[in-house]
This record gives sequence, structure tokens and C-alpha cells, in this order.
Amino acid sequence: MLRLEGVTKRYGERLILRDIDFHAAAASLTYLAGANGAGKSTLLRIMGGFTRPDQGRVIRNLPPGGIGYLGYETMLYPELTALENLAFWGKTTGRRLPKNALPTMLERMELAPFAHDAVGTFSRGMSQRLSLGRLLLGRPRLLLLDEPETGLDAASRALLLREVLHLRQEGAALVWVTHSPETWSLAGEIAGAVCVLLKGKRLSFTERPGECGWLRTVCGEQAGGGR
Amino acid sequence: MIRFSLVLAAKDLWLLLRGGAAFAQALLLGLLLIFLFSLAASGEEAVGGSGAAVIFWLASAFCQTLIFTALYAVEEGQGQRLGLLLAPVPVQALWLGKALAGLAVLALLQLVFLIALAVFLGRSPEAFPIQGGAMLALADIGIAASGSLLGALARGRGARESLCSILLFPLLIPLLLGAVRVSSMVLAEAPNPALTAALGGEIRSWMELAAAFDAIFLAAALVLFPFVYGEEG
Repeated sequence: MLRLEGVTKRYGERLILRDIDFHAAAASLTYLAGANGAGKSTLLRIMGGFTRPDQGRVIRNLPPGGIGYLGYETMLYPELTALENLAFWGKTTGRRLPKNALPTMLERMELAPFAHDAVGTFSRGMSQRLSLGRLLLGRPRLLLLDEPETGLDAASRALLLREVLHLRQEGAALVWVTHSPETWSLAGEIAGAVCVLLKGKRLSFTERPGECGWLRTVCGEQAGGGR
Repeated sequence: MIRFSLVLAAKDLWLLLRGGAAFAQALLLGLLLIFLFSLAASGEEAVGGSGAAVIFWLASAFCQTLIFTALYAVEEGQGQRLGLLLAPVPVQALWLGKALAGLAVLALLQLVFLIALAVFLGRSPEAFPIQGGAMLALADIGIAASGSLLGALARGRGARESLCSILLFPLLIPLLLGAVRVSSMVLAEAPNPALTAALGGEIRSWMELAAAFDAIFLAAALVLFPFVYGEEG
């Protein structure tokens, strides 16, 4: 579904990513880990096509509109209501949505009572849940998650995890960048693979994450920076 | 692609008119220009068609800078731009959507400016209504096409209004020259029949020039927009 071969990226003199190989298959969940400045978000942006690599190849075997992205920023318009936001993003998916798709999605995200409230009045957790709903309307085949759990309470994190795993069951490939110790503790249990970056270089790619408890130490303690 | 552009334009118009700040700012700026001009001209002989045309297009051009920076700014606050880039349409659909929204707002502002010209300067369209309308449409299309491209170029930069003005105005000079010249004939007193044919020929040549510049702006925007707003280097 997604394959990166020898991807290298510089910003000016600074080397961000060095010769990275990566792959994500259908119905997989890969955690992308590394200290601050290791290049995780840049790698994710290259996977999404937002940033061009200086060297290497990105091969995406996906239908148009098949990529979804959920980061700290919610991509929602604060002046619009929850329903208006979903309606707009639903129309940009290119899919014909069932008539009740929007109310159903709001129910699923536990936001139905706030359908007509402006998103600018929402808490962080509510906004992120709505953003997840926005994403699910498009039924992405490749979902890129850039620390979306940051600032969420336990209930919102559980909902996020539930929906993301549901997507994987439906055949989507998930790549999840995380720093959260709570999310990390799940890595050994639910992830199909863990890829660790250290100073812009791929340190490891293991498809048996249960056996790599030492990775947490590497990610938590190594100083970042790709100079 | 067209459907996506229309959806984006409708959302932008809704945000712009509901939020009101950018629209009100542009409207007040234009009205202030016309009002100040009327003060400067008072006490002397009535403002001619040329003076009224210049102030009309000056107000339109200034306002368009504000409108396009506002149209692109709404996609920056929460990373909405990335979401739009993931939509299953060519990235040029974003340019078209913004251009359509800008064009609609410009037309609305110009309607108010025309009323203001009548109120403050005592000038309203007197002759060549069809050619005047066509020239207005051609000039607005060119302004919207280039404004949407340059608004994208200026996005995320601190002094984006200034940058957009610096980039936009020199490119628009030929188009604005034609628009001012034709508008001055429209806003002047109706010419005698002998002059009408000669002026009609001049209007046609300005319209041809405007159409040529529109084609250049449209082509340039379609080619350059993906580099300006799409994948970053």
C-alpha cells in the first residue's frame, strides 16, 4: 500500500532523514517512534505527499483521496458548527455519503448534542473527536496519525483507539507517530510493526514489537536532532 | 473538480460573510477611498468619468488584496490546507475555488462602490452598458485569477498583505489600464452618435487586451499553483 525507498530529506544544511526504507501493508498498524527532532513528522509528511523528499522514492498504491491525516491540528473551521464542518469535509471526499451519514457520525463521536454549536467553543477532546469523524467520512486506506492523542483525556483516547483499530479491521494501513507512554504501552500489544528513528536514520523496523521493549528506552532517552 | 471548487467557494463565502471582519474591512477601505476623493474634488468642477473610473478600480484592487489574503488565511489556523490537499481532486481545484469566492466578493463590493460613486461623486453609468459590463467581467476575472495565485504565494508570511500588493499590482497594470479607460467612457456623459462608433472600436481593442491578459493569468495560475500551494520542497 505504501513503500518508501531510500528517502533522504534536508532542510538547508540540516539532514532530517537519511536513507529511510519503510513499508505499510493493508490492515496493518505501524508505530513510528523516536525522540524529538528524529524526523518522525517529516517522514509522515513525506508519506502523505505534503513534503517532497530530496532523494528516494515514495510508492503509494492507493485510490484518489485514499490518504487520511490526523495530527494535533484538527483541520476544522472554528466559525462553523460541528455539522457544517462535517458537511464540508464530507463533500471534499468525493464519495456519495448516505443521507444520515453526518448525524450518525456525530453520534458515533459522541457529539450529537453539539451538532449546531460552533467548533470554536469545543474543548480539545471534542474538536479532536470531530476531526476523527471528518476523517472517517472519507474511509481512508492509509491513515497517518501524528500524535493525535496529545491533550486528550482517557475517554477521548479510548474512542480514538477504538475507531482507528476499526479502520484497520476494514483493511486500512495505519502509521502512528507517538510520544505518549500510554500509547507506547499498547505498541507491544496491538501494533503489527514498530519503526524507530534516531537522528534521522532508521534504527530498527521490527514486525514483532512485543520483543522490543528496549525501544522505549531508546525513544525516551536519546536526544533528538538530525545534525 | 468543478464541484469541489464550488463547495470550497461556498464555504469561503459563508465564512467571509458570516465572520464579516475581512469583508467589512475591504468595504470600508473602498468606501473611504471614494469618500476622501469626493472631499478632495468638492468645490471644484464635477468629477469626470476618468476620475471616477480611477477611484473605482483603485478601490477594487486594494480590496481584492485584503480579500485574497483573508481567503487563504482561513486554511492556516488549524492546518486545514493539508486536509484540502488530500482531497481526490487536482490541486488547481483549490485555486479555482478561491478565485470563484474572490470573484463573487469583488462583484458584491463593486456593486456597493458603484452606488457610492453615484452618491459621493454624482457619477453613474451613462453609456456603453453592454461593453462596460463585459469589460468589468474581464477585468474581474483577471484580478481573481492572479489574486488567487498570489494570495496562495503570500500565505503564512508575516506581511502577506504587503507582499500580495507588491506582487499583484504590477501584474495588473495592463488590465487596470484597460478597465479604467473603458470605465471612464461608461461613466462619462453619453457621447454624440458620431463619436460612439470610434469609442466602440477603442473599447473593443481594450477588451481584446483584457481577454489576452486573462488567458495569461489563467494559464500561469494553472501551471504555477501546484508549486505554490501543493507539495513543499
